[in-house]
Amino acid sequence: MHKAKTEMRVVFALLLLLFAGFLFLPLLVLLIRSFETGEGFSLANYAAVWKGRDMVGAALNSVKVSAVSAVIATTLAFILAYAIHCTRIFRPIKGVLKTAILVPMLLPTITYGFAIMYSFGNQGLITKLIGRNLFEIYGFNGLLTGYVIYTLPPAFLLIHNAFGYVDKKFIIVSKLMGDGTARSFFHAVLRPLAGALGGAFVLAFILSFTDFGIPASVGGTYPVIAAQLYQVMLGSIPDFNQGAVIAVVMLIPAAFGIWLLRYLDKLNFHYDKIDAIELPKHRVRDAGLGILSSAIVVGILSVFAVMFVAPFMNGFPYDTAFTFKHFSDVFASGDLTGVYKNSLWVALLTSLLGTLAAYGAALLNVRTKLKAKGATDVVSMITNTVPGMVLGIAYLLLFNGSSLKGTFAILVLCNIVHLFTTPYLMAKNALSKMNPSWETTGELLGDSWFKTVYRVVLPNSASAIIEMFAYYFVNSMVTISGIIFLVSAQTSVVASKIKELQHFAKFNEIFVLSLLIFFTNLVIKAACDWMQRRRAVR
Amino acid sequence: MLKLQHIGKQFDGKTVLDDICFEIGTGEIMSLLGPSGSGKTTLLHLILGLTGADRGSIVFGDEDLTRVPMKKRGFNIVFQDFALFPNLNAYENIVYGLRNKKGLVSPKEVQEYIDFLELTPHLNKKIGELSGGQKQRVALARTLVAKPKLLLLDEPLSALDGVIKESIKQRIQSIAREFKLTTLIVTHDPEEALTMSDKILIINQGRIAQFGAPQDIIGRPANEFVEQFIIKQLRIKRQNIFNLFGEMYA
Repeated sequence: MHKAKTEMRVVFALLLLLFAGFLFLPLLVLLIRSFETGEGFSLANYAAVWKGRDMVGAALNSVKVSAVSAVIATTLAFILAYAIHCTRIFRPIKGVLKTAILVPMLLPTITYGFAIMYSFGNQGLITKLIGRNLFEIYGFNGLLTGYVIYTLPPAFLLIHNAFGYVDKKFIIVSKLMGDGTARSFFHAVLRPLAGALGGAFVLAFILSFTDFGIPASVGGTYPVIAAQLYQVMLGSIPDFNQGAVIAVVMLIPAAFGIWLLRYLDKLNFHYDKIDAIELPKHRVRDAGLGILSSAIVVGILSVFAVMFVAPFMNGFPYDTAFTFKHFSDVFASGDLTGVYKNSLWVALLTSLLGTLAAYGAALLNVRTKLKAKGATDVVSMITNTVPGMVLGIAYLLLFNGSSLKGTFAILVLCNIVHLFTTPYLMAKNALSKMNPSWETTGELLGDSWFKTVYRVVLPNSASAIIEMFAYYFVNSMVTISGIIFLVSAQTSVVASKIKELQHFAKFNEIFVLSLLIFFTNLVIKAACDWMQRRRAVR
Repeated sequence: MLKLQHIGKQFDGKTVLDDICFEIGTGEIMSLLGPSGSGKTTLLHLILGLTGADRGSIVFGDEDLTRVPMKKRGFNIVFQDFALFPNLNAYENIVYGLRNKKGLVSPKEVQEYIDFLELTPHLNKKIGELSGGQKQRVALARTLVAKPKLLLLDEPLSALDGVIKESIKQRIQSIAREFKLTTLIVTHDPEEALTMSDKILIINQGRIAQFGAPQDIIGRPANEFVEQFIIKQLRIKRQNIFNLFGEMYA
């Protein structure tokens, strides 16, 4: 590892300034505002929120619907991961399942709600196919459906990743030792994955608890905390101090959840050496899980089917004649194409600058001897804890009167900070696997630190950088929670525009814009995957 | 000539090197020998300039280098894992430093190093395509191209096996002789140290256990540690071979 140098300190200082100004300071202001009243500082705002029956009820509703969603999402995610890792299902089918389940991640959560409405509503596509209403879509059921779709992909990724560290040999050993199916399943699969399953539940819970997009579309009259927060902040009578209280209240379970996630990770088994072995064929198991996992994926994707059908019809569901009218209307409307261009700009700038910040922070953390380098880990832990809505409100409170208000810069900064953790960890993971002597070797051969980073470290972490870029881009395109409080008429992006179009019941436009986001993300993902594969082949 | 006087180093209050003194002449090979954790790698890093000494001085020729930063000492190292850059091919690794020091070595000289280390057939290969021995030779070539005043080798043979090990041993000796390059090797293997070096510095728990030529160490071990660590180990090896194959191989 390398001695601290001036250029490292400069990069470190710049990063600290970024997070001091756009993470710590806004959160501090949020905390202060939550105690601020007309007569100074007190707990009056907290008391008022606590007394208000709406808020307590909404918080309880949030806990209830998030917990049920998390149980369902974790169960479904486990079934899918088990089918992929512990069966002899035809390999290409496994590949399709693995990719298809991640499709919802390419769309904003607010779109999920409209897809649910157009699928399960009285005139919905699935309702028509089945011939009857499956459930009342507004309120608890709609939220539950939306949250399950939203949290299933990340829960699956977590369990799927943990499965990679579970030695499947133990299933065979357990059988050879005479264990029955249940005992073998418990000892060789369930127990080693206990931490990951707990983690998936907590992750799904936090994501549901803090999401705004789904309640915004199918929340109906079932109040949840995220919708209440939006109402208090941007409703007819905004109350910023009470909003600050709700944001702080929202932060508590999120912080607890992140702490729990770290604790649960310790419960996972990490085998020293994992052999890639193939389990013996088992017709009932393979067929059963093949059908079940395909049904889960088809079920999830079928909700989005309407999104690909409705915009091509004159007026779904009543006039089903084929038309391109809705697309041509959107493309003819300068307003909507402008919003799409805004989204692209924000996503592009976020991914470029965000990748730079996350990579720089990881580089300093992993490959230098800077004394305070642990600060980047603290930042990553905090950005992981703070929900997008809370960060958005904190920005609103701090930058309301500043020149940053209503600019693209504030959206980009909010996204960079909000989405920082995952790309940072990606970079840390890649950089820690590299030879620790490269920088010393480079210096002995006449390089400055920057030069070795540019000539050696960067090219060898290209794969991680591409992955970080794709993560920032896709998530910037779909995020709504953070930026909903920060967009202006000039800086409106697709996700926030969808919320606006909802008021005018312009669902065809909503679906066309959602498709634009979807295909843009798909192209970026495919291009990044292609670049990564090309590098791997080389 | 490299001269270390009363070098001392502590980490978190724990002494890792204490009163290290030795001197080696130009073109000599010296091995730093000791068990794991004895402080030999720390001493290597101190000489390289990667770590600073708490006490004592490091003199090369007439120049006191104790406070001179690593980059300005003019020394170079081949790390145990070679630290080759996988995004570049073998040739690009070899000439890596020339972009920073234009004119330091002529293309003819580069070719001489390449020929000397028999690397011509491997120049266009990616690092991942090279064997352990080839990687070692590429790393040596890259270091030699930088024209170091002192060559440091950190466990140069530990990642190699059998015949390749012997060939690299000879290669290192030839480099020191051919280029009159003072060479310092870190190793934990007494056999390597005895067969490669002009002088051996044996370290135990951060202190010098013995410093001298291989013959002196074999003939007159200075203390119980040297006797146990080197002589006994060699006797056991010899006995094992004798037991297996009889007198002729022992």
